[in-house]
Amino acid sequence: MAQVKVFGYSDKLSLKVGEEVQIHVSADGTDTVDAQLVRLIHGDEHPDGPGFIEEEVDCEANGVWDVEKQFTQVGSFLEVEDPAKTLALDGSITLHAFIWPRTPEIGHRQCILGRWDNRRNFGYCLGINRTGRLEFWVGRGDEIDYVEAEVPLQEQVWYFVAATFDTKTGKATLYQEGVPNRYNSRLGRVTPIDYRSHVSEVFRFRQKNLDETPFLMAGSRDWHELRGDFVSQLYCGKIDRCGVYDRALGRAELDGLRQGGEPPAEGLVAYWDTTVGYTDRGIGDEVVDTGPNRLNAYGYNRPVRAMTGWNWTARNDCFRLAPEQYGGIEFHDDAVIDSNWKVTAKFKLPEKIRSGAYAMRLRSGDGTGLAEEYVVFFVRPKKPTGRIAFLFSTATYLAYANERFALDGSIVQPMGGQPPTITEPDIEMYKNPEFGLGAYDHHADGAGVCYTGYHRPLLNMRPKYRISAFGMPWNFPADLSVVAWLEHKGYDYDILTDEDIHYEGAAAMAPYNCVLNSTHPEYYSENMMDATEDYIAGGGRYICVGANSFCCNVAFRDDDPTVMECRKVGGHWKAWLAQPGEYHMATTGQMGGLWNKIARYGQKIAGVTMAGEGFAHSRPYELMPDAFDPELAWITKGIEPGELIGNFGLGNGGAAGIELDRYHLDFGTPPDTKVIASSGGHPDNYVAMDEEGAYAHQGFSGTHNHELRGDFTFCPSHNGGAVVATGSIAFGMALPINNFDNNVSTLLGNVVDAFAEPGPLPGAKEKVAVAAE
Amino acid sequence: MRPLESDTSQDREVVYRERFDSYRRDFLKTLVTPEVIEEHKRSPFGQHSEPLERLLIYFRQQPLADKYAVKVVTPFKAYRLVAMSGHRGVAPRPVGDEVFPTAKEACHGVFLLHIQDLLES
Repeated sequence: MAQVKVFGYSDKLSLKVGEEVQIHVSADGTDTVDAQLVRLIHGDEHPDGPGFIEEEVDCEANGVWDVEKQFTQVGSFLEVEDPAKTLALDGSITLHAFIWPRTPEIGHRQCILGRWDNRRNFGYCLGINRTGRLEFWVGRGDEIDYVEAEVPLQEQVWYFVAATFDTKTGKATLYQEGVPNRYNSRLGRVTPIDYRSHVSEVFRFRQKNLDETPFLMAGSRDWHELRGDFVSQLYCGKIDRCGVYDRALGRAELDGLRQGGEPPAEGLVAYWDTTVGYTDRGIGDEVVDTGPNRLNAYGYNRPVRAMTGWNWTARNDCFRLAPEQYGGIEFHDDAVIDSNWKVTAKFKLPEKIRSGAYAMRLRSGDGTGLAEEYVVFFVRPKKPTGRIAFLFSTATYLAYANERFALDGSIVQPMGGQPPTITEPDIEMYKNPEFGLGAYDHHADGAGVCYTGYHRPLLNMRPKYRISAFGMPWNFPADLSVVAWLEHKGYDYDILTDEDIHYEGAAAMAPYNCVLNSTHPEYYSENMMDATEDYIAGGGRYICVGANSFCCNVAFRDDDPTVMECRKVGGHWKAWLAQPGEYHMATTGQMGGLWNKIARYGQKIAGVTMAGEGFAHSRPYELMPDAFDPELAWITKGIEPGELIGNFGLGNGGAAGIELDRYHLDFGTPPDTKVIASSGGHPDNYVAMDEEGAYAHQGFSGTHNHELRGDFTFCPSHNGGAVVATGSIAFGMALPINNFDNNVSTLLGNVVDAFAEPGPLPGAKEKVAVAAE
Repeated sequence: MRPLESDTSQDREVVYRERFDSYRRDFLKTLVTPEVIEEHKRSPFGQHSEPLERLLIYFRQQPLADKYAVKVVTPFKAYRLVAMSGHRGVAPRPVGDEVFPTAKEACHGVFLLHIQDLLES
């Protein structure tokens, strides 16, 4: 009997009470699951804390659901909209394209351009065979004829390639010429590699086309008895301007195309000008055919645009400056942004539930391990109900979605300072590419992953999950420690998500006196940065509970909150590096990477941001002189001078650790900011963020470097607004210790009590009273 | 090292790394003492003495294929040791049959495997 496995996702991450939610489920080894709506209160099972806490909620959808195995189309490609079947060409033909193969010998045949049925061997295609050689082939069902190049393609070098087939003579010819310049390819002029190949064969027959076969770029049509039609033989690499003729072009005509000339009009069926469609704000998934038939192509699993093309000369480093040099579209054979599963159940959320983190808990078999699934989503009230809002960092959850640090990243153990602690979901993700990757991963072809979406099971955005690389709760399950604290303290709070902040701006936070951000608010779009800044400057009171705050610029399309773009740029401290010239996001045209690269320092908003990180033991805070300012005494009320704050916690045994943020006037910390407490004594596994220094050197690590610390800061703003930042990811995970009765809880409680109360803050009140006397 | 002993790929980086690591291992073997092993057992995640830190940095930098890790059997109750495949799609393989009651003890088990490999290299 097959092992029972259940996986699912919801159509929306952010919902309001009473709204409809759709749940998509795939299951192995079972055809039913028990479904139960639950509110999630605490996520970590560590015995030093309160353990996992959920609350079952009455819901019309609770009960037994019928489920089935569902499949995910893995890999990105373009499909041409061709209802008239104009491209079902059964006579002479030419296919041509500029290509930059990332991995010619990836282990399977890669289709570049064609109308090819893999299973039944009908149609025509230009591709790369298993030995890494360019190949053109035609099929009529019972047989295939092909011609292959004499030399293999080189990795990451631009070529102009073409195949011509004259059905009168039966002559099929391959045209392959390298077009590397001084910048556009991995290799330069010095290497004596011969890129060219011109080979002809006489084919025995011409191609036959099936009506239903689509014309694809970067893949071909396949079929399986369980899943039906799908796309296989996926290509890894870039394709630039390409086209189709209904005649065999001559050598001189192909030479003209190779040199960037306009495509000859005679016999032109389609010409996809991949540089058409750019605006100052980016480009979408439609690839425009400027030929006579307007056969536009559409991306699946979001082929990556805003990539350098065959004619890139490096003078311009963004498509906004020279769109004609940004015709590259990159494809990956393991890209997944949307599982596109059928809806298993849809229902309205109950009218009387409170705002919070919810999940449909799905169980089958013994209901443990992979036989238990939590499909997590977040529920806001119809109208704000409390004085306080907790903000779930859904953008950061997306960045880390389904990451495979532990099993795939050789750098992880040196960073983590420990061997990984691997769980069953980690192994499942590693074995099965259908879960897709996160922005911390590389595609199997070596490229960094720049798109990550939530229409797929997110196995690490679950209660109970501990990140395998570091053996602790991370992001969502860690944030539940703050939620459990709010619950325990009985605060009147609602929840928000990054999605709400991105699309609604400061208005989403405006109803609340106090907003608490998460343990790890790292990924921020420009909308989110603006909204946060405006909320605080407008008199809002903001608590940055975590660290690594406001660091990385990301982008969402206006009409699609489900997919986030993230390009990694800069010195160190990133999981991968975008290729030169590809630093700007196709979604917005903004440069990706760290906000501090464009002077949008996180310190301008929160007073602190990234100092460094480490994953050995965490440390406590000690009070700093500003804590003894009478005007600020309310912050540390109940904490004695000399008392260590947070020498405990679920995040490596201390309240200050994992990732640390610090006060830094040169990077935009508001001058009025007070440092209430700071951590110290971090071990050498902690290494400082190198963005601030010109040279790396031995003294970057914890015991040598005063910059390696978390600062707990207070910063007043306009109109009674203020910001408190804890400077530590581990802070929130210290709250549940000793049944929430501890000095970290006291410290945060003092701030929340004061921030949630309308009117001036306690210190300001006293100042007013003294002035009145 | 014999000439081109490791020349199985075009990448001369691999050849150099092997030589670098062989020199490094010769030195690291001299750092293995009962005191260092006891120190790791006591505090696998803390600030360490220089000999222990040097050993750990070497172990952590090893390539992914066959690199040791801890696998959770039952959270906070039972852990085993595995070696990673280094190849996507291939699950880690079990190493030994010892079950450790805590992740910390399993982590020390990984350390002892590394020490054994080092001394046998």
